[in-house]
Amino acid sequence: MAGRPNYPAELRRKNVRLALGVALIVVFMAITAIPFWKGLVALATGG
Amino acid sequence: MTTATVAHDDHAHHGPPSGIKRWLFSTNHKDIGTMYLVFALIMLFLGGASAMVIRAELFMPGLQLVQPDLYNNLLTNHALIMIFGAVMPAAAGLANWMIPLMIGAPDMALPRMNNLSFWILPAAALMLILSFIVPFFPGGGSQINTGWTLYPPLSLQVGMSMDFLIFALHLLGISSVLASINIIVTIFNMRAPGLRMMQLPIFVWAWLVTAFLLVLVVPVLAAGITMLLFDRHFGTSFFIAAGGGDPVLFQHIFWFFGHPEVYILILPSLGVLASILPTFSRKPLFGHHSLIGAMIAIAALGMIVWAHHQYTVGMSLAAVQYFMLMTILISIPVGLIIFNYMMTMWRGAMTFETPMLFTVAIILMFSFGGLTGVMLAVVPADMQYHDSMFVVAHFHYVLLPGAVWGLFAGVFYWLPKWTGHMYDERLAKTFFWVHVVSFNITFFPQHFLGLAGMPRRIADYNIMFTEFNMISSVGAFFFGLSHLLFLYIIIKTVRGGEKAKARAWEHAEGLEWEVDSPPAHHTWTTPPKIKTA
Repeated sequence: MAGRPNYPAELRRKNVRLALGVALIVVFMAITAIPFWKGLVALATGG
Repeated sequence: MTTATVAHDDHAHHGPPSGIKRWLFSTNHKDIGTMYLVFALIMLFLGGASAMVIRAELFMPGLQLVQPDLYNNLLTNHALIMIFGAVMPAAAGLANWMIPLMIGAPDMALPRMNNLSFWILPAAALMLILSFIVPFFPGGGSQINTGWTLYPPLSLQVGMSMDFLIFALHLLGISSVLASINIIVTIFNMRAPGLRMMQLPIFVWAWLVTAFLLVLVVPVLAAGITMLLFDRHFGTSFFIAAGGGDPVLFQHIFWFFGHPEVYILILPSLGVLASILPTFSRKPLFGHHSLIGAMIAIAALGMIVWAHHQYTVGMSLAAVQYFMLMTILISIPVGLIIFNYMMTMWRGAMTFETPMLFTVAIILMFSFGGLTGVMLAVVPADMQYHDSMFVVAHFHYVLLPGAVWGLFAGVFYWLPKWTGHMYDERLAKTFFWVHVVSFNITFFPQHFLGLAGMPRRIADYNIMFTEFNMISSVGAFFFGLSHLLFLYIIIKTVRGGEKAKARAWEHAEGLEWEVDSPPAHHTWTTPPKIKTA
Protein backbone atom coordinates (compact mmCIF):
# COMPACT_ATOMS: atom_id res chain seq x y z
CA MET A 1 0.00 0.00 0.00
CA ALA A 2 1.32 3.36 -1.05
CA GLY A 3 2.60 5.60 1.72
CA ARG A 4 0.63 4.04 4.54
CA PRO A 5 1.28 5.79 7.87
CA ASN A 6 3.39 3.73 10.21
CA TYR A 7 1.40 3.78 13.42
CA PRO A 8 2.95 2.44 16.63
CA ALA A 9 2.02 -1.17 17.37
CA GLU A 10 0.09 -0.22 20.51
CA LEU A 11 -2.06 2.29 18.56
CA ARG A 12 -2.68 -0.26 15.82
CA ARG A 13 -3.86 -2.81 18.38
CA LYS A 14 -6.08 -0.21 20.04
CA ASN A 15 -7.61 0.73 16.67
CA VAL A 16 -8.30 -2.87 15.71
CA ARG A 17 -9.84 -3.64 19.13
CA LEU A 18 -12.24 -0.70 18.87
CA ALA A 19 -13.08 -1.54 15.24
CA LEU A 20 -13.96 -5.10 16.25
CA GLY A 21 -16.05 -3.75 19.11
CA VAL A 22 -18.09 -1.58 16.72
CA ALA A 23 -18.34 -4.52 14.32
CA LEU A 24 -20.02 -6.47 17.13
CA ILE A 25 -22.78 -3.84 17.19
CA VAL A 26 -23.22 -4.38 13.45
CA VAL A 27 -23.55 -8.14 13.87
CA PHE A 28 -25.91 -7.74 16.83
CA MET A 29 -28.20 -5.38 14.89
CA ALA A 30 -28.30 -7.71 11.90
CA ILE A 31 -29.14 -10.88 13.81
CA THR A 32 -31.66 -9.31 16.15
CA ALA A 33 -33.57 -7.60 13.35
CA ILE A 34 -35.61 -10.61 12.37
CA PRO A 35 -37.22 -11.83 15.60
CA PHE A 36 -37.40 -8.41 17.25
CA TRP A 37 -39.26 -6.65 14.50
CA LYS A 38 -41.56 -9.57 13.85
CA GLY A 39 -42.62 -9.44 17.50
CA LEU A 40 -43.00 -5.68 17.43
CA VAL A 41 -45.23 -5.77 14.37
CA ALA A 42 -47.40 -8.34 16.09
CA LEU A 43 -47.73 -5.98 19.04
CA ALA A 44 -48.41 -2.89 16.93
CA THR A 45 -50.98 -4.48 14.68
CA GLY A 46 -52.58 -6.68 17.29
CA GLY A 47 -51.77 -9.63 15.04
CA MET B 1 -14.68 24.85 18.77
CA THR B 2 -13.91 26.14 22.21
CA THR B 3 -10.17 26.16 21.90
CA ALA B 4 -7.57 28.27 20.30
CA THR B 5 -5.06 26.05 18.65
CA VAL B 6 -1.44 26.60 18.00
CA ALA B 7 -0.23 24.12 15.54
CA HIS B 8 2.92 23.09 13.86
CA ASP B 9 2.62 20.96 10.79
CA ASP B 10 5.66 18.87 10.15
CA HIS B 11 5.29 18.17 6.45
CA ALA B 12 6.12 14.77 5.15
CA HIS B 13 9.17 14.53 2.99
CA HIS B 14 7.72 12.59 0.10
CA GLY B 15 4.81 13.16 -2.21
CA PRO B 16 2.23 10.78 -3.56
CA PRO B 17 3.11 7.82 -5.78
CA SER B 18 2.45 8.44 -9.45
CA GLY B 19 0.11 6.88 -11.99
CA ILE B 20 -2.90 4.66 -11.52
CA LYS B 21 -1.34 2.96 -8.47
CA ARG B 22 -1.75 6.18 -6.53
CA TRP B 23 -5.50 5.78 -6.77
CA LEU B 24 -5.95 2.00 -6.85
CA PHE B 25 -3.82 1.27 -3.82
CA SER B 26 -4.16 4.56 -2.01
CA THR B 27 -4.41 4.54 1.75
CA ASN B 28 -4.14 8.31 1.94
CA HIS B 29 -7.21 9.97 3.39
CA LYS B 30 -6.97 12.95 1.02
CA ASP B 31 -6.71 10.80 -2.12
CA ILE B 32 -9.55 8.58 -0.95
CA GLY B 33 -11.60 11.65 -0.06
CA THR B 34 -11.03 13.00 -3.56
CA MET B 35 -12.08 9.67 -5.09
CA TYR B 36 -15.27 9.64 -3.01
CA LEU B 37 -16.09 13.18 -4.18
CA VAL B 38 -15.40 12.45 -7.85
CA PHE B 39 -17.46 9.26 -7.64
CA ALA B 40 -20.32 11.17 -6.01
CA LEU B 41 -20.20 13.82 -8.74
CA ILE B 42 -20.45 11.18 -11.48
CA MET B 43 -23.38 9.56 -9.71
CA LEU B 44 -25.02 12.97 -9.22
CA PHE B 45 -25.09 13.41 -12.99
CA LEU B 46 -26.36 9.86 -13.51
CA GLY B 47 -29.14 10.27 -10.96
CA GLY B 48 -29.85 13.74 -12.31
CA ALA B 49 -30.22 12.41 -15.86
CA SER B 50 -32.95 10.03 -14.72
CA ALA B 51 -34.68 12.92 -12.94
CA MET B 52 -34.62 14.91 -16.19
CA VAL B 53 -36.39 12.07 -18.03
CA ILE B 54 -38.96 11.87 -15.22
CA ARG B 55 -39.67 15.60 -15.41
CA ALA B 56 -39.75 15.52 -19.23
CA GLU B 57 -42.38 12.77 -19.06
CA LEU B 58 -44.41 14.77 -16.56
CA PHE B 59 -44.22 17.95 -18.63
CA MET B 60 -47.56 17.03 -20.20
CA PRO B 61 -50.34 14.59 -19.35
CA GLY B 62 -50.34 11.34 -21.29
CA LEU B 63 -47.38 9.08 -22.02
CA GLN B 64 -44.78 10.80 -24.22
CA LEU B 65 -41.33 9.38 -23.56
CA VAL B 66 -41.48 6.34 -21.29
CA GLN B 67 -43.93 3.63 -20.37
CA PRO B 68 -45.11 3.38 -16.73
CA ASP B 69 -42.79 0.49 -15.80
CA LEU B 70 -39.72 2.27 -17.19
CA TYR B 71 -40.87 5.47 -15.51
CA ASN B 72 -40.95 3.69 -12.15
CA ASN B 73 -37.61 2.03 -12.87
CA LEU B 74 -36.10 5.47 -13.53
CA LEU B 75 -37.70 6.74 -10.35
CA THR B 76 -36.27 3.86 -8.32
CA ASN B 77 -32.82 4.33 -9.79
CA HIS B 78 -32.94 8.09 -9.32
CA ALA B 79 -33.60 7.68 -5.60
CA LEU B 80 -31.08 4.93 -4.98
CA ILE B 81 -28.33 6.58 -7.03
CA MET B 82 -28.83 9.95 -5.36
CA ILE B 83 -28.99 8.55 -1.81
CA PHE B 84 -26.40 5.78 -1.93
CA GLY B 85 -24.31 6.90 -4.89
CA ALA B 86 -24.18 10.68 -4.61
CA VAL B 87 -25.03 12.09 -1.16
CA MET B 88 -23.54 9.39 1.10
CA PRO B 89 -20.24 9.09 -0.83
CA ALA B 90 -19.95 12.90 -1.05
CA ALA B 91 -20.39 13.17 2.72
CA ALA B 92 -17.85 10.35 3.16
CA GLY B 93 -15.50 12.30 0.88
CA LEU B 94 -15.75 15.36 3.11
CA ALA B 95 -15.22 13.14 6.17
CA ASN B 96 -12.14 11.54 4.66
CA TRP B 97 -10.63 14.84 3.68
CA MET B 98 -11.49 16.87 6.74
CA ILE B 99 -11.73 14.68 9.86
CA PRO B 100 -8.01 13.78 10.07
CA LEU B 101 -7.08 17.40 9.28
CA MET B 102 -9.53 18.72 11.89
CA ILE B 103 -8.44 16.41 14.70
CA GLY B 104 -4.70 16.58 13.99
CA ALA B 105 -4.40 12.93 12.90
CA PRO B 106 -1.91 11.82 10.21
CA ASP B 107 -4.57 9.69 8.49
CA MET B 108 -7.62 7.52 9.16
CA ALA B 109 -7.18 4.88 11.86
CA LEU B 110 -7.49 1.95 9.43
CA PRO B 111 -6.08 3.17 6.11
CA ARG B 112 -6.29 -0.13 4.22
CA MET B 113 -9.92 -0.58 5.22
CA ASN B 114 -10.46 2.96 3.99
CA ASN B 115 -9.21 1.89 0.56
CA LEU B 116 -11.57 -1.11 0.63
CA SER B 117 -14.56 1.03 1.67
CA PHE B 118 -14.12 3.20 -1.38
CA TRP B 119 -13.34 0.52 -3.95
CA ILE B 120 -16.46 -1.47 -3.07
CA LEU B 121 -18.46 1.51 -4.33
CA PRO B 122 -17.74 1.27 -8.08
CA ALA B 123 -18.67 -2.43 -7.99
CA ALA B 124 -21.91 -1.56 -6.20
CA ALA B 125 -22.63 1.22 -8.69
CA LEU B 126 -22.10 -1.24 -11.55
CA MET B 127 -24.61 -3.65 -9.98
CA LEU B 128 -27.04 -0.79 -9.47
CA ILE B 129 -26.75 0.29 -13.10
CA LEU B 130 -27.09 -3.34 -14.23
CA SER B 131 -30.32 -3.62 -12.25
CA PHE B 132 -31.62 -0.81 -14.43
CA ILE B 133 -30.48 -2.11 -17.82
CA VAL B 134 -30.88 -5.89 -17.41
CA PRO B 135 -34.64 -5.81 -18.24
CA PHE B 136 -33.81 -4.33 -21.66
CA PHE B 137 -32.14 -7.61 -22.67
CA PRO B 138 -34.01 -10.78 -23.72
CA GLY B 139 -34.80 -12.87 -20.64
CA GLY B 140 -33.94 -9.94 -18.39
CA GLY B 141 -37.29 -9.99 -16.67
CA SER B 142 -39.46 -7.06 -15.67
CA GLN B 143 -38.39 -3.57 -14.65
CA ILE B 144 -37.97 -2.60 -11.00
CA ASN B 145 -41.14 -0.64 -10.42
CA THR B 146 -41.12 -0.63 -6.62
CA GLY B 147 -39.51 2.70 -5.83
CA TRP B 148 -36.56 2.79 -3.44
CA THR B 149 -38.68 1.24 -0.66
CA LEU B 150 -38.72 -2.18 -2.41
CA TYR B 151 -41.99 -3.18 -0.74
CA PRO B 152 -43.21 -6.73 -1.20
CA PRO B 153 -45.27 -8.21 -2.74
CA LEU B 154 -44.23 -6.10 -5.77
CA SER B 155 -40.51 -6.66 -5.12
CA LEU B 156 -41.14 -10.42 -5.00
CA GLN B 157 -42.63 -10.32 -8.49
CA VAL B 158 -39.88 -8.31 -10.22
CA GLY B 159 -37.40 -10.21 -12.40
CA MET B 160 -33.69 -10.79 -11.88
CA SER B 161 -32.96 -7.05 -11.86
CA MET B 162 -34.20 -7.05 -8.25
CA ASP B 163 -31.45 -9.52 -7.36
CA PHE B 164 -28.85 -7.19 -8.86
CA LEU B 165 -30.35 -4.38 -6.83
CA ILE B 166 -30.31 -6.38 -3.59
CA PHE B 167 -26.63 -7.25 -4.09
CA ALA B 168 -25.86 -3.63 -4.96
CA LEU B 169 -27.48 -2.55 -1.69
CA HIS B 170 -25.51 -5.17 0.22
CA LEU B 171 -22.25 -3.86 -1.25
CA LEU B 172 -23.21 -0.25 -0.56
CA GLY B 173 -24.08 -1.24 3.00
CA ILE B 174 -20.75 -3.00 3.53
CA SER B 175 -18.93 0.06 2.20
CA SER B 176 -20.89 2.39 4.52
CA VAL B 177 -20.39 0.22 7.59
CA LEU B 178 -16.64 -0.14 7.00
CA ALA B 179 -16.31 3.62 6.48
CA SER B 180 -18.34 4.27 9.63
CA ILE B 181 -16.21 1.94 11.75
CA ASN B 182 -13.13 3.73 10.43
CA ILE B 183 -14.56 7.16 11.25
CA ILE B 184 -15.57 6.10 14.79
CA VAL B 185 -12.15 4.61 15.51
CA THR B 186 -10.37 7.62 14.02
CA ILE B 187 -12.32 10.10 16.14
CA PHE B 188 -11.90 8.13 19.36
CA ASN B 189 -8.29 7.02 18.98
CA MET B 190 -6.49 9.39 16.63
CA ARG B 191 -7.14 12.85 18.09
CA ALA B 192 -4.13 15.07 18.70
CA PRO B 193 -2.89 14.85 22.30
CA GLY B 194 -4.91 17.19 24.49
CA LEU B 195 -7.82 17.52 22.07
CA ARG B 196 -10.84 16.51 24.12
CA MET B 197 -14.06 15.12 22.66
CA MET B 198 -16.11 18.17 23.63
CA GLN B 199 -13.59 20.43 21.85
CA LEU B 200 -14.06 18.69 18.52
CA PRO B 201 -15.60 20.72 15.68
CA ILE B 202 -19.33 20.12 15.14
CA PHE B 203 -18.59 18.63 11.71
CA VAL B 204 -16.59 15.87 13.43
CA TRP B 205 -19.33 15.33 16.00
CA ALA B 206 -21.97 15.25 13.27
CA TRP B 207 -20.02 12.53 11.51
CA LEU B 208 -19.51 10.59 14.75
CA VAL B 209 -23.28 10.56 15.35
CA THR B 210 -23.88 9.68 11.68
CA ALA B 211 -21.37 6.82 11.81
CA PHE B 212 -23.10 5.34 14.86
CA LEU B 213 -26.46 5.67 13.13
CA LEU B 214 -25.05 3.83 10.12
CA VAL B 215 -23.68 0.91 12.12
CA LEU B 216 -27.01 0.62 13.93
CA VAL B 217 -29.41 0.72 10.98
CA VAL B 218 -27.60 -0.52 7.87
CA PRO B 219 -27.39 -4.10 9.24
CA VAL B 220 -31.17 -4.05 9.71
CA LEU B 221 -31.65 -3.14 6.05
CA ALA B 222 -29.19 -5.89 5.15
CA ALA B 223 -31.27 -8.37 7.16
CA GLY B 224 -34.48 -7.16 5.49
CA ILE B 225 -33.24 -7.42 1.92
CA THR B 226 -31.64 -10.80 2.68
CA MET B 227 -35.06 -12.01 3.86
CA LEU B 228 -36.47 -10.60 0.61
CA LEU B 229 -33.86 -12.54 -1.35
CA PHE B 230 -34.76 -15.72 0.53
CA ASP B 231 -38.46 -15.22 -0.17
CA ARG B 232 -37.65 -14.77 -3.85
CA HIS B 233 -35.40 -17.81 -4.27
CA PHE B 234 -35.24 -20.13 -1.28
CA GLY B 235 -38.86 -20.86 -0.42
CA THR B 236 -39.19 -18.83 2.77
CA SER B 237 -42.29 -16.76 3.54
CA PHE B 238 -41.10 -13.84 5.65
CA PHE B 239 -43.18 -11.42 3.61
CA ILE B 240 -45.55 -13.72 1.69
CA ALA B 241 -49.02 -13.67 3.22
CA ALA B 242 -50.01 -16.94 1.53
CA GLY B 243 -47.15 -18.69 3.33
CA GLY B 244 -47.98 -17.17 6.72
CA GLY B 245 -45.64 -14.18 6.31
CA ASP B 246 -46.38 -10.50 6.61
CA PRO B 247 -45.59 -7.94 3.88
CA VAL B 248 -45.97 -5.15 6.44
CA LEU B 249 -43.02 -6.60 8.37
CA PHE B 250 -40.79 -5.54 5.49
CA GLN B 251 -42.14 -2.00 5.74
CA HIS B 252 -41.17 -1.88 9.41
CA ILE B 253 -37.71 -3.24 8.74
CA PHE B 254 -37.17 -0.94 5.78
CA TRP B 255 -38.24 2.20 7.62
CA PHE B 256 -36.27 1.29 10.72
CA PHE B 257 -33.36 1.86 8.36
CA GLY B 258 -35.04 4.37 6.06
CA HIS B 259 -35.95 7.05 8.55
CA PRO B 260 -32.57 7.28 10.30
CA GLU B 261 -31.13 7.29 6.77
CA VAL B 262 -32.65 10.75 6.36
CA TYR B 263 -30.57 11.94 9.33
CA ILE B 264 -27.55 10.07 7.99
CA LEU B 265 -27.86 12.27 4.90
CA ILE B 266 -28.58 15.51 6.75
CA LEU B 267 -26.33 15.51 9.83
CA PRO B 268 -22.96 15.74 8.03
CA SER B 269 -24.27 18.73 6.07
CA LEU B 270 -25.55 20.42 9.22
CA GLY B 271 -22.06 19.84 10.58
CA VAL B 272 -20.56 21.63 7.59
CA LEU B 273 -22.70 24.68 8.34
CA ALA B 274 -21.24 24.86 11.85
CA SER B 275 -17.81 25.38 10.25
CA ILE B 276 -19.01 27.97 7.74
CA LEU B 277 -21.22 30.16 9.92
CA PRO B 278 -18.58 31.42 12.40
CA THR B 279 -16.17 32.18 9.54
CA PHE B 280 -18.52 34.43 7.62
CA SER B 281 -20.35 35.83 10.67
CA ARG B 282 -17.02 36.62 12.35
CA LYS B 283 -18.38 35.32 15.63
CA PRO B 284 -17.87 32.10 17.58
CA LEU B 285 -20.39 29.34 17.04
CA PHE B 286 -23.38 29.77 19.34
CA GLY B 287 -24.05 26.82 21.70
CA HIS B 288 -21.36 24.33 20.73
CA HIS B 289 -22.30 21.80 23.44
CA SER B 290 -26.05 22.11 22.87
CA LEU B 291 -25.50 21.44 19.17
CA ILE B 292 -23.79 18.17 20.07
CA GLY B 293 -26.70 17.30 22.36
CA ALA B 294 -29.23 18.18 19.67
CA MET B 295 -27.51 15.95 17.11
CA ILE B 296 -27.44 13.02 19.53
CA ALA B 297 -31.12 13.66 20.36
CA ILE B 298 -32.03 13.73 16.66
CA ALA B 299 -30.25 10.42 16.13
CA ALA B 300 -31.86 8.79 19.17
CA LEU B 301 -35.37 10.02 18.35
CA GLY B 302 -34.83 9.29 14.65
CA MET B 303 -34.46 5.61 15.47
CA ILE B 304 -37.83 5.26 17.18
CA VAL B 305 -40.19 7.04 14.80
CA TRP B 306 -39.95 4.92 11.67
CA ALA B 307 -43.61 3.94 11.30
CA HIS B 308 -44.74 7.51 10.57
CA HIS B 309 -44.05 6.47 6.97
CA GLN B 310 -46.76 3.82 7.32
CA TYR B 311 -49.76 5.51 8.93
CA THR B 312 -52.07 4.24 6.21
CA VAL B 313 -51.03 0.60 6.63
CA GLY B 314 -53.51 -0.10 9.43
CA MET B 315 -51.60 0.01 12.71
CA SER B 316 -53.28 0.12 16.10
CA LEU B 317 -54.39 3.52 17.38
CA ALA B 318 -51.85 3.39 20.23
CA ALA B 319 -48.99 2.72 17.81
CA VAL B 320 -50.06 5.50 15.47
CA GLN B 321 -50.35 8.00 18.35
CA TYR B 322 -46.93 7.03 19.65
CA PHE B 323 -45.25 7.46 16.27
CA MET B 324 -47.00 10.80 15.70
CA LEU B 325 -45.95 12.28 19.04
CA MET B 326 -42.36 11.05 18.85
CA THR B 327 -42.05 12.38 15.30
CA ILE B 328 -43.26 15.84 16.28
CA LEU B 329 -40.80 15.75 19.20
CA ILE B 330 -37.89 15.69 16.71
CA SER B 331 -38.73 19.25 15.72
CA ILE B 332 -37.33 20.37 19.11
CA PRO B 333 -33.67 19.39 18.60
CA VAL B 334 -33.90 20.34 14.90
CA GLY B 335 -35.31 23.72 15.94
CA LEU B 336 -32.49 24.09 18.44
CA ILE B 337 -29.90 23.62 15.70
CA ILE B 338 -31.62 26.21 13.49
CA PHE B 339 -31.86 28.58 16.49
CA ASN B 340 -28.15 28.18 17.31
CA TYR B 341 -27.20 28.82 13.69
CA MET B 342 -29.35 31.96 13.56
CA MET B 343 -27.87 33.15 16.86
CA THR B 344 -24.40 32.64 15.43
CA MET B 345 -25.31 35.08 12.66
CA TRP B 346 -27.09 37.49 15.01
CA ARG B 347 -25.21 40.81 15.09
CA GLY B 348 -22.29 39.24 13.28
CA ALA B 349 -20.24 41.13 10.71
CA MET B 350 -21.60 38.93 7.96
CA THR B 351 -20.36 38.63 4.39
CA PHE B 352 -22.02 36.49 1.78
CA GLU B 353 -19.48 34.41 -0.07
CA THR B 354 -20.95 31.36 -1.80
CA PRO B 355 -20.64 28.93 1.16
CA MET B 356 -22.47 31.47 3.34
CA LEU B 357 -25.14 32.05 0.68
CA PHE B 358 -25.82 28.33 0.64
CA THR B 359 -25.88 28.27 4.43
CA VAL B 360 -28.52 31.02 4.66
CA ALA B 361 -30.56 29.35 1.92
CA ILE B 362 -30.34 26.02 3.76
CA ILE B 363 -31.61 27.54 7.00
CA LEU B 364 -34.61 29.01 5.18
CA MET B 365 -35.47 26.15 2.83
CA PHE B 366 -34.68 23.30 5.21
CA SER B 367 -36.88 24.92 7.85
CA PHE B 368 -39.66 25.06 5.27
CA GLY B 369 -39.17 21.35 4.51
CA GLY B 370 -39.25 20.70 8.24
CA LEU B 371 -42.57 22.50 8.57
CA THR B 372 -44.22 20.37 5.90
CA GLY B 373 -42.66 17.43 7.75
CA VAL B 374 -44.62 18.37 10.86
CA MET B 375 -47.76 18.48 8.67
CA LEU B 376 -47.00 14.96 7.47
CA ALA B 377 -46.34 13.75 11.00
CA VAL B 378 -49.93 14.54 12.00
CA VAL B 379 -51.91 11.37 11.33
CA PRO B 380 -55.24 12.72 10.02
CA ALA B 381 -53.41 15.16 7.74
CA ASP B 382 -50.99 12.50 6.51
CA MET B 383 -53.93 10.28 5.58
CA GLN B 384 -54.76 12.96 2.98
CA TYR B 385 -51.22 13.69 1.79
CA HIS B 386 -49.91 10.13 1.77
CA ASP B 387 -48.49 8.99 -1.58
CA SER B 388 -49.19 12.37 -3.14
CA MET B 389 -46.84 14.85 -4.81
CA PHE B 390 -46.94 16.80 -1.53
CA VAL B 391 -44.67 14.13 -0.04
CA VAL B 392 -42.32 14.44 -3.02
CA ALA B 393 -42.14 18.21 -2.52
CA HIS B 394 -41.58 17.76 1.23
CA PHE B 395 -38.66 15.36 1.04
CA HIS B 396 -36.97 17.27 -1.75
CA TYR B 397 -37.16 20.41 0.42
CA VAL B 398 -35.58 18.42 3.24
CA LEU B 399 -32.96 16.51 1.30
CA LEU B 400 -31.77 19.07 -1.22
CA PRO B 401 -31.24 21.96 1.20
CA GLY B 402 -30.61 19.70 4.21
CA ALA B 403 -28.15 17.32 2.58
CA VAL B 404 -27.06 18.34 -0.94
CA TRP B 405 -26.69 22.09 -0.43
CA GLY B 406 -24.70 21.49 2.73
CA LEU B 407 -22.31 19.40 0.65
CA PHE B 408 -22.10 22.12 -2.02
CA ALA B 409 -21.43 24.66 0.73
CA GLY B 410 -18.71 22.40 2.14
CA VAL B 411 -17.13 21.90 -1.27
CA PHE B 412 -16.97 25.67 -1.91
CA TYR B 413 -15.71 26.29 1.64
CA TRP B 414 -12.90 23.74 1.53
CA LEU B 415 -12.11 23.77 -2.21
CA PRO B 416 -9.35 26.39 -1.69
CA LYS B 417 -7.85 24.12 0.97
CA TRP B 418 -7.98 21.05 -1.27
CA THR B 419 -6.79 22.59 -4.51
CA GLY B 420 -4.68 25.54 -3.35
CA HIS B 421 -6.77 27.84 -5.57
CA MET B 422 -9.68 30.16 -4.84
CA TYR B 423 -12.72 29.34 -6.94
CA ASP B 424 -14.34 31.93 -9.21
CA GLU B 425 -16.70 33.70 -6.78
CA ARG B 426 -18.74 35.34 -9.54
CA LEU B 427 -19.44 32.04 -11.26
CA ALA B 428 -20.13 30.32 -7.96
CA LYS B 429 -22.69 32.95 -7.02
CA THR B 430 -24.29 32.57 -10.45
CA PHE B 431 -24.48 28.84 -9.82
CA PHE B 432 -26.01 29.47 -6.40
CA TRP B 433 -28.77 31.73 -7.68
CA VAL B 434 -29.68 29.62 -10.72
CA HIS B 435 -29.61 26.49 -8.58
CA VAL B 436 -31.69 27.81 -5.69
CA VAL B 437 -34.27 29.68 -7.78
CA SER B 438 -34.76 26.77 -10.20
CA PHE B 439 -34.99 24.38 -7.24
CA ASN B 440 -37.93 26.38 -5.89
CA ILE B 441 -39.57 26.59 -9.30
CA THR B 442 -39.26 22.81 -9.57
CA PHE B 443 -40.48 21.70 -6.19
CA PHE B 444 -42.70 24.45 -4.77
CA PRO B 445 -45.58 23.80 -7.24
CA GLN B 446 -45.47 20.13 -6.29
CA HIS B 447 -46.99 21.06 -2.91
CA PHE B 448 -50.06 22.38 -4.72
CA LEU B 449 -50.18 19.33 -7.00
CA GLY B 450 -50.17 17.05 -3.98
CA LEU B 451 -52.78 19.05 -2.11
CA ALA B 452 -54.97 18.95 -5.23
CA GLY B 453 -54.66 15.16 -5.27
CA MET B 454 -51.96 14.25 -7.80
CA PRO B 455 -50.47 10.89 -6.79
CA ARG B 456 -46.72 10.26 -6.86
CA ARG B 457 -45.02 7.44 -8.80
CA ILE B 458 -47.50 7.70 -11.69
CA ALA B 459 -46.25 8.55 -15.20
CA ASP B 460 -49.54 10.03 -16.38
CA TYR B 461 -51.92 12.46 -14.72
CA ASN B 462 -55.22 14.25 -14.97
CA ILE B 463 -55.27 17.26 -17.29
CA MET B 464 -56.14 19.53 -14.34
CA PHE B 465 -52.55 19.16 -13.07
CA THR B 466 -50.92 20.30 -16.33
CA GLU B 467 -49.91 23.90 -15.55
CA PHE B 468 -48.09 23.22 -12.29
CA ASN B 469 -46.36 20.22 -13.84
CA MET B 470 -45.14 22.33 -16.76
CA ILE B 471 -43.75 24.95 -14.38
CA SER B 472 -42.10 22.23 -12.31
CA SER B 473 -40.51 20.61 -15.38
CA VAL B 474 -39.16 23.91 -16.76
CA GLY B 475 -37.65 24.61 -13.35
CA ALA B 476 -36.16 21.11 -13.29
CA PHE B 477 -34.43 21.58 -16.65
CA PHE B 478 -32.73 24.79 -15.43
CA PHE B 479 -31.97 23.05 -12.15
CA GLY B 480 -30.31 20.17 -14.00
CA LEU B 481 -28.34 22.49 -16.28
CA SER B 482 -27.04 24.47 -13.33
CA HIS B 483 -24.95 21.46 -12.29
CA LEU B 484 -22.89 21.79 -15.47
CA LEU B 485 -21.83 25.19 -14.19
CA PHE B 486 -20.88 23.58 -10.86
CA LEU B 487 -18.75 21.05 -12.73
CA TYR B 488 -17.09 23.84 -14.73
CA ILE B 489 -16.28 25.80 -11.56
CA ILE B 490 -14.69 22.73 -9.95
CA ILE B 491 -12.57 21.94 -13.04
CA LYS B 492 -11.53 25.59 -13.37
CA THR B 493 -10.49 25.73 -9.71
CA VAL B 494 -8.52 22.49 -9.87
CA ARG B 495 -6.66 23.73 -12.96
CA GLY B 496 -5.70 27.12 -11.58
CA GLY B 497 -6.77 30.44 -10.21
CA GLU B 498 -5.81 32.81 -7.47
CA LYS B 499 -3.53 31.10 -4.95
CA ALA B 500 -5.19 30.25 -1.67
CA LYS B 501 -3.46 30.95 1.62
CA ALA B 502 -3.22 28.28 4.32
CA ARG B 503 -6.09 30.11 6.02
CA ALA B 504 -8.10 30.64 2.85
CA TRP B 505 -10.88 32.51 4.68
CA GLU B 506 -9.68 35.31 6.91
CA HIS B 507 -11.72 34.37 9.97
CA ALA B 508 -11.70 30.61 9.57
CA GLU B 509 -10.71 28.68 12.67
CA GLY B 510 -9.70 25.09 13.20
CA LEU B 511 -6.73 22.83 12.69
CA GLU B 512 -7.48 22.31 8.99
CA TRP B 513 -6.50 25.91 8.34
CA GLU B 514 -3.08 25.47 9.97
CA VAL B 515 -1.79 23.29 7.12
CA ASP B 516 -0.85 24.55 3.67
CA SER B 517 -3.33 24.94 0.81
CA PRO B 518 -3.16 22.42 -0.78
CA PRO B 519 -1.89 20.34 2.12
CA ALA B 520 1.14 18.08 1.77
CA HIS B 521 0.41 14.43 0.91
CA HIS B 522 0.96 13.56 4.57
CA THR B 523 -0.09 16.02 7.26
CA TRP B 524 0.14 16.05 11.05
CA THR B 525 2.91 13.46 11.08
CA THR B 526 3.91 15.50 14.12
CA PRO B 527 0.74 16.08 16.14
CA PRO B 528 -0.31 19.70 16.66
CA LYS B 529 -0.08 21.23 20.10
CA ILE B 530 -3.53 22.03 21.45
CA LYS B 531 -3.90 25.10 23.61
CA THR B 532 -7.14 25.26 25.58
CA ALA B 533 -8.71 28.68 25.59
